[in-house]
Amino acid sequence: MDKRNIETSPIAASAAGHEVLARVTNLTRRFGGLVAVSDLSMEIRRHEILGLIGPNGAGKSTTFNLISGFFKPSSGRLYFDGKEVTGKSALEISRAGLVRTFQHGSLMRSMSVYENILIGAIGGLPHATKKERAIRVEETAEMLGLGPYLNEVAGTLPHGIQRLISIAIASAPRPKLLCLDEPLTGLNQTEVMTTLGVFEKIRQVFGCTILLVEHNMKAVMQICDRIVVLHHGQLLATGTPDDIRHNDTVVSAYLGKRHGD
Amino acid sequence: MHKIFHNQQVFLTLTLALLSLGSLFLRDAYSINLAIWMALAALCAASLRFVTLIGELNFAIAAFYGIGAYGAGAALTVYNIPFLPALLLGGVIAALVSLVFGYVTLKTKGPYFLLIGFAFTEVMRILYARSDWLGGNSGMVGIFPPSAFGSYFPFFAIGLCSVMILALYLIERSSFGKVLTAIRDNDNVVLSVGINVHMAKVVCFGIGSFVAGIGGSLHGFTNNVISPGDFGFLLSTFALAYLKVGGENSPFGPMLGAIVLLALGSVAMGMGAGEHIFYGAAIVIAVLLFPNGLVGIFSWGYKKLVLDVRSKGEALHESRPAAKPLHKKEQVNG
Amino acid sequence: MQTALQLLFTALQIGSIYILFSLGLTLIFGVMKIVNFAHGQFFTLSALLVSVLVPWFAHHDVPLLPAYLLAAVIAVAVSVALGMLTYQFGFRFFQRDLSGSFILSIGLVLLLEGAYLHYFGGAVRTVPPIIAGDVSILGVTLTSQRLLLGLAAIVATGALYWILMVTQFGKAMRAVAIDHEAAMLQGIPFKRIAFQGFAVATLLGAVAGALLAPISVISPTLGADYLIKGFIAVIIGGLGSVPGAIIGSLFIALVESIGGFYFDPSIANLTIFILVMLVLMVRPHGLLGNR
Repeated sequence: MDKRNIETSPIAASAAGHEVLARVTNLTRRFGGLVAVSDLSMEIRRHEILGLIGPNGAGKSTTFNLISGFFKPSSGRLYFDGKEVTGKSALEISRAGLVRTFQHGSLMRSMSVYENILIGAIGGLPHATKKERAIRVEETAEMLGLGPYLNEVAGTLPHGIQRLISIAIASAPRPKLLCLDEPLTGLNQTEVMTTLGVFEKIRQVFGCTILLVEHNMKAVMQICDRIVVLHHGQLLATGTPDDIRHNDTVVSAYLGKRHGD
Repeated sequence: MHKIFHNQQVFLTLTLALLSLGSLFLRDAYSINLAIWMALAALCAASLRFVTLIGELNFAIAAFYGIGAYGAGAALTVYNIPFLPALLLGGVIAALVSLVFGYVTLKTKGPYFLLIGFAFTEVMRILYARSDWLGGNSGMVGIFPPSAFGSYFPFFAIGLCSVMILALYLIERSSFGKVLTAIRDNDNVVLSVGINVHMAKVVCFGIGSFVAGIGGSLHGFTNNVISPGDFGFLLSTFALAYLKVGGENSPFGPMLGAIVLLALGSVAMGMGAGEHIFYGAAIVIAVLLFPNGLVGIFSWGYKKLVLDVRSKGEALHESRPAAKPLHKKEQVNG
Repeated sequence: MQTALQLLFTALQIGSIYILFSLGLTLIFGVMKIVNFAHGQFFTLSALLVSVLVPWFAHHDVPLLPAYLLAAVIAVAVSVALGMLTYQFGFRFFQRDLSGSFILSIGLVLLLEGAYLHYFGGAVRTVPPIIAGDVSILGVTLTSQRLLLGLAAIVATGALYWILMVTQFGKAMRAVAIDHEAAMLQGIPFKRIAFQGFAVATLLGAVAGALLAPISVISPTLGADYLIKGFIAVIIGGLGSVPGAIIGSLFIALVESIGGFYFDPSIANLTIFILVMLVLMVRPHGLLGNR
């Protein structure tokens, strides 16, 4: 069962039936005097949808940036797909198969939807022909329901569609690990449902593993296999949605935050 | 949408071909010379525009144009290298220098990159002036195309400029060009899918500088004399004027701006100071009133006249978010 | 030792003009995030007007000092008016648009420089020193005029500091420079502050020009050289930083003074340009720049 003590051996983990795709051990990041993330250890298992949650200021964004190579850790190690990637640049990590989205505007507004997804295809298929990339773009667009919009200029489309576009760009290279930074922000109920369905499809059909940073608790509980809870830059709890729902420390962290504000 | 693509490409090729061939019909030396200067000006503006694909304003274009000129000139007059290799050498040297320069400086953006380019141009100018083997302050003389060319040199020069403008256009339309445009829009996203954004920028810069270098070489052979003062920041400013007035969002902008400004300028050329006032006013008016330049005015007028006859795809192509800035608007808080 | 002192004083007097010049540049950048390459043109206009008016007044039998003062006031007023015109119809729309404002200012440089050449002619002019004679400090000889210039620079810097630190207006400007959105939320009349800030900056440049007229040969292209140096000073010191502008200006002046003495002016210029390239690459925000 999931415990707060993470096995240190990837072999032991996959022996237990959960092959580990990525892990961080004792990850710490300081900004001057502020410790944003402190001694964090967690793993991401192949083909799971893992949620990363926590109150504001918990260190979710920083962790996200550390895992994807946009920040360098102050100390600790990162492993991805069997290799150590501590200190590697964002470019190297994305080439290794980890693609992330950004919280605000993770797309090219001035270009068409087709061209947007094409960028992802170019990233994923650097030596392919134009035809091969075109097929990749169309497949990705189909999967996300963006077929009707391919010729539209991305910036002219509604917010919900733009979110889908950013997910399409990120999944076009068929990454091993897809890291989504608050993809559900600003979406209404229907749009959230659609997008959750898209996540599931991406996992099944594209074979991606998904790391999700989100504030929408209901959605997280619904779609995630496991959840990691951060608080004040530290690991608070790990477990299935059920575990987390019934975890007293998690509940009080959220309640306490609400009361304290 | 493919129809438009082919249309624009065909239209551009035709225009360039016609302009080049048309130059064969010019008879007097003045017009011929003016035509070459227009072609070179259009080339500079096109090179400048190419680098705006990554969202940067290349104020060092004058430096690379100058490196091309001095490179070709020195190859010819100092090392006695024949015409064609000398011409190419100008472009190659400019490209090599630009790759090193770009690798180091493209880590900066916007106004900082621009100011570095400005400073670099002045550095090169001072270096030329101090290099006696390049003719020092008085410059270099005797840069002539081979007599075998005869009266066909202007056609060659204009034709070469046209070919390079077309080449830049084709690159812009390619996958690589799309990557560049995406970098200007949102370079983080491009990086996140595993594309080496920095190298893409450097290569873009190198291509633009190679073209500028060839232009400089041609400049040398056309003018037969070059001096350090020809390649200062004023040249970059003029290139900017052609681009802004013509319209930075269209591949036709550079040509239109160069032709119009040089044509009007030759009229105003009588008064020495008049040239500066003219170009300065052109930039100011273009920036304040016509951000899309002459091309913008024409397409606006065209749209007004030819109402809703167009199909959706074509109309969409026209209605691209207007005036995509030349430069990345640096998110400045405060 | 004597040489060193002489060089230092030369640097100080060159530097004082650069200081007045670059204070305006950094203020415009700091508050409005505008890159104004045309700043030099207001400086030049002021100098040109003084160099034209003083002989005219002298011709009409006005004594030198009042003639100069009157000419200076008129010159500064006209220059500031021109500056405000460019702001009202131009720069106002390019706040926080660094490259856009740069392009506009480049166009203005060409336009205005050409206009000056046209109306004032290319010939250089001089104005007789207002205060004649020399002064000896620590064994180094200075013309009194240059000493006056140096003092004026100190006074102007002091006044600017006082404005920025003590007055309501100054505090508002600093607030806008740090975070203009927050400043707006606080009810600071942002537009008015920007307008007045631009006016103050232009005033500094115009005053510098008027002060320079008696010392230097004035030509319509005067602004260009000072502009480049002034910008470099501001970049090295940090765009937006007042102390940075001062340090940068003095540093440039020192390099010019030493380089010009031991080598020659073009080597000095070369050094300065290479230096600024390095600064822009390694530390784009300059020594003391914010952000």
